[in-house]
Amino acid sequence: MMMLDSMDELLTHIKDVQLDVIELSGESLMKMSSFMEKNELEIDEDIATALQYQDIITQQLNATIEAIESMQSSINMFSHAYKSDEGLAQQSIAKLKEKLSVTLQDAKDKKSRFSGKFAESHADDEIEFF
Amino acid sequence: MPLVIFVDDSETALASTRMVTNSMPIEVKQYTEAQVALAEIKAGMTPDLIITDLNMPVMNGFEFLKGLREVAATKRTPTLMLTTETKPELKQQGKALGLTGWIVKPFNPAQLKQAITRVLRLPA
Repeated sequence: MMMLDSMDELLTHIKDVQLDVIELSGESLMKMSSFMEKNELEIDEDIATALQYQDIITQQLNATIEAIESMQSSINMFSHAYKSDEGLAQQSIAKLKEKLSVTLQDAKDKKSRFSGKFAESHADDEIEFF
Repeated sequence: MPLVIFVDDSETALASTRMVTNSMPIEVKQYTEAQVALAEIKAGMTPDLIITDLNMPVMNGFEFLKGLREVAATKRTPTLMLTTETKPELKQQGKALGLTGWIVKPFNPAQLKQAITRVLRLPA
């Protein structure tokens, strides 16, 4: 069970690093955009795209943070079952594997969903009017 | 000047749209929470165009759109979705709710300006 505790600690560390990346990249971009606004600098397509990367990075990282939290919850449930009843733990490990697979698939789906035009190179660049 | 409101939980996304629209002859208001924008609309604010993100905590873009359509003043206000989502079924859902159009992030500044110009019928 020490292995599971280490995994839990590692996941917490990864989550903390991701939260820092979200915060720092957001602060960095806000400082740059504030400078551009103050100096009334017109932005072109490349700069506008670059500015929007941060939004996409944040959404991607938040999706993986959700996956990490879901994995930690499953690991903790298994760990608790193992400590209280070894027989129950045998059943729980199959459920744990299933839950982790679902969580991974959900995270992969969100990676695609939250990538906008980056995920779909064929995505039409035109604005779609209904 | 026509009033355009932007709703996005990302401050950086709002900064991008602000920099693109600051030279346009429009008044811009920005909100990081759709429920706050909706409350102001219910209190009497009458935007001429609404541009909203889809994935937001508390109230998402579709819930916001449903809320807008329940308010007499914004029952037919043009509304564009500005999102990373590209799924056709989501676009259909938006269309059924009375959405005017769909813009995929990252947006092209010239196209965003053109869309606003077209919807508000501003001089090109």
